Amino acid sequence: MAGTIEIIIPAIILMAGAFMVYMSARLLGLNNKAEAILTIMVLLAALISLVLNFNDLSDLINNPDVYYGSYEPGAVLLVPSAVGVFIMIVSVIVSILVTLYSGEYLARDTRYLVYYPLILLLQAGLFGMFLSNNLFHLFLLTELTTIAASALIAFRFKQEIAIKAGFKYLIMSSLGTMMMLLGIYFFYRSTGDMHLTEILALPDRFTRIAAACFLLGFSLKAGVFPLHTWVADVYGNAPSAISGLLAGVFSKSMLFILPVICLRLGMTKSELGMYLMIFACFNMLIGSIRMLGQSQLRRFFSFSTIAQTGYLMFSLGIGFYFGLERAFSASLFLFLVIAIMKSLAFLASGVYQFHFGTQDIEKLRGAGHRSQLIGLCLSIALAGLAGIPLLAGFTGKWLVFSAALATGDLFAFVCLMIFLLATVIGLAGYLPVIVKQYLRDDAGAVSHPVSLSWWMAAPVTLLSLLVVVIGLYPEPWLNLVNFVVAWMVI
Amino acid sequence: MENYELLLSGITLVPIMGVVVLLIWRNATKKQAAAIGILSETFALIVPLVLLSVLRKQDQVVFSLPWIRNMGISFRLSLNWLSLVFLMTEILVTLAAMIYSLGEKTGEKHSNYYYALLLLFSLGMSGTTLADDAFLFYIFWELMLVASVLLLLVWGHGEKRFGVALKYFIVTHLGSLMVLVCLITLYVNFGTADMTEWMTQAVMLPGTLQAFLIAFFLIGFSVKMAIFPLHIWLPDAHTVAPMPVTIILAAAMLSMGTYGILRFPFALFPLENLQPFAIWMMIAGLISEVYGALMALAEKDIKRIIAFSSVSQMGYILFGMGTLTLRGMEGAVMHVVYHAIVKALLFMVVGIIVNITGKRDIQEIGGLGFKYPALCVSAAIGVLGISGMPPLGIFNSEWMIFAGGFDSGISIALTVMTLIGSLFTVIYALRFFGGIFFGEKKHADLPEKAPLALVVPTLAVTAFLIIEGLIPGPLLQWAMQGLTSIIGGLN
Repeated sequence: MAGTIEIIIPAIILMAGAFMVYMSARLLGLNNKAEAILTIMVLLAALISLVLNFNDLSDLINNPDVYYGSYEPGAVLLVPSAVGVFIMIVSVIVSILVTLYSGEYLARDTRYLVYYPLILLLQAGLFGMFLSNNLFHLFLLTELTTIAASALIAFRFKQEIAIKAGFKYLIMSSLGTMMMLLGIYFFYRSTGDMHLTEILALPDRFTRIAAACFLLGFSLKAGVFPLHTWVADVYGNAPSAISGLLAGVFSKSMLFILPVICLRLGMTKSELGMYLMIFACFNMLIGSIRMLGQSQLRRFFSFSTIAQTGYLMFSLGIGFYFGLERAFSASLFLFLVIAIMKSLAFLASGVYQFHFGTQDIEKLRGAGHRSQLIGLCLSIALAGLAGIPLLAGFTGKWLVFSAALATGDLFAFVCLMIFLLATVIGLAGYLPVIVKQYLRDDAGAVSHPVSLSWWMAAPVTLLSLLVVVIGLYPEPWLNLVNFVVAWMVI
Repeated sequence: MENYELLLSGITLVPIMGVVVLLIWRNATKKQAAAIGILSETFALIVPLVLLSVLRKQDQVVFSLPWIRNMGISFRLSLNWLSLVFLMTEILVTLAAMIYSLGEKTGEKHSNYYYALLLLFSLGMSGTTLADDAFLFYIFWELMLVASVLLLLVWGHGEKRFGVALKYFIVTHLGSLMVLVCLITLYVNFGTADMTEWMTQAVMLPGTLQAFLIAFFLIGFSVKMAIFPLHIWLPDAHTVAPMPVTIILAAAMLSMGTYGILRFPFALFPLENLQPFAIWMMIAGLISEVYGALMALAEKDIKRIIAFSSVSQMGYILFGMGTLTLRGMEGAVMHVVYHAIVKALLFMVVGIIVNITGKRDIQEIGGLGFKYPALCVSAAIGVLGISGMPPLGIFNSEWMIFAGGFDSGISIALTVMTLIGSLFTVIYALRFFGGIFFGEKKHADLPEKAPLALVVPTLAVTAFLIIEGLIPGPLLQWAMQGLTSIIGGLN
């Protein structure tokens, strides 16, 4: 083993932290809140090491000396990428907020011991996926995230519905990883190696089959039509904090690993771009149409997640098909914005679940009066997702629109029209939910205001503030995204 | 930065401060909230008057702050003669509606939010007229929609309001999205959102793109103008909204579509590229005019009668712009102002009638004329005004619109048809007036007097209508200066 050890320090912190948190919680008999704080400290350490080690991306990109492992066949080979670092920073920040939130959210659960280590493992796995240039290790790390995620989804294992959701996720994700394994076979058969460090000079039909396998595998994990069927069941029934993390960050980040692998395996940019654009249209339409009839709040957000995956795919697709750099900035910005808004939406709806014991939109009438803060935050999330100006979602929409219109291409324009249609349908979904929160019960039930603990209030407020701040003043965030795109190696 | 430039930003910043105060002051009584609202609006009204002297010197006042530099977006406001006309109309209507609210039951609860939203609604409109940056324009454009939808949702009448608000939001938002596509296309092509910059560069765009943009802009803004068949949101939204909001919607917000058409397709592209669309604008205007009038004739609900009359009046405006002559456009701009005054007046009259009788069905109302002579006179002036009777304002603007139609040489027949179509306006206006104020008395115990807060703005608007009709000089001059400075190629 050789190379720069610094690049894997965040992963080491996360991995070691997972064991440390579990052991200390077990041996010292820590309660839920103490374990949450410990986890936050580990995540903060990982965040700091991420920022410190990668503060100068220009040093690190296209630099043959920056790697960890060995170029010998079959050896571990970890090479950092700018996009991966960016996504990891977003992911770790969202995880910190989710962990803080869980400090209160899990107050009524007994099995909190394993919960936090699993979040850390999930993060470590995700980071590894972005680093690994060895396909077999990529497969292993994907499995790690799958297992961690399905255990988290089925966290409340006494509820049948949670077990069903976890099981469904496990089966579907394993199907995805199986496809990857198949891809690895084809790749190995063609090259006799596991390393995939750059675009293959001579892709043959086997590597192209491998590319297709990886495409399917990652599409499944991201919830791309027609492999989206698990999304609503899983995110609708998982604990809200976990749905926020998975739907907001984890499944979306798959869309940024997918192109790296597929392009290196010999898929052309126009093929990939066309695939992403066509299926983006399906995702956008199906997500927003199915969203309309939902009665459960989290299920509603799950369908809107499918639509948002579509928006991201659309802008990425434009980027690859037309080779537009601004489309990549748009997609990274959109990723950031969706991560914030979506986790906010799930966390806020989790507060309702926690205090009122229901997710039924009809039964949540008047909930906005009982908890004014959460009502406001959920409204901000919904309005942001709907793309109302001055919130972050609108700036994202503006960027995607400008990327699509900058192509001057008819097909991109047709897709854009579908995008528009989807946003209008989405509006018909989001607005009634905002309104219903503030409708008084007809029964005239006495509505007591609920007292929120700051464990839940703080992360939700912070995320809402971010939605507003990014919407009002997107310049520094855009600079960050543009900086990352400039160093993007795809 | 000069002092007067800072003053210009006050038109948007002072109402924002008013909103902040209202949001913080949660237990303000209705009168206190109204005072803050009226004060901020009065300030916004005084500023353009103060800036008139500067405007005479340099034709344009600009306030500019950098905002999102890496996207080429700045916070840029510009006051010129054309935006002045629209701005003043909009602020005056809002002020009247705010005072009128005091006499209504609307907004008794949560008065601070009610007035904050009225301020935001007005801010959306004044921002739309002032914005000189496309991003900013769209933000204000949507603010207008969001604020009005919230007003409709919270203070609207009946359980139907949720469906109506949703329909209003989605239909108008569809139009806004078409506008957004155009704005972003232009933004991508020029690399900046600065609209003054656009005016110099737009001519160089390829012809087909220009045609496409013109078509999209026209359709998008026509939704806001409620031109048939894109008017479907209007009758319900106007009926369900509380009366002060209806007044702002009908008298001020509809005209924003007109402003958009003048500010974008008309100002950006050479008139000869608009030529192919002229006939369609005239036809759409004619159909809207006749359809709105016929529907107003068929309606029984007095609020809906006046609502449909808006569809009809917007038809005239589109027709005037479609003539593509200076006269026609001037007529259209003046019609916006006069229509705002007349429409505000008529809705105020309707509001008072609903307030004293508690009924909206024209068949259940009658014979109010002798009991309330002042109201009757105001209504008479409003009705005569909308029918285009000289010397009341609309006569002037219709004259110019028709003159523009004959001037344009596009189609004399269409102009004649529009002229004859205006007869329907007279019919529904007279039916409205006669049905309410004459005929048998159908009410037993009516209050002696209508609330003062309702009567005072009504009478003030009536007086204003007469004055505007008698002295149209300044308005005419502003409109002409505005149009010639913005729209290239006008004689």
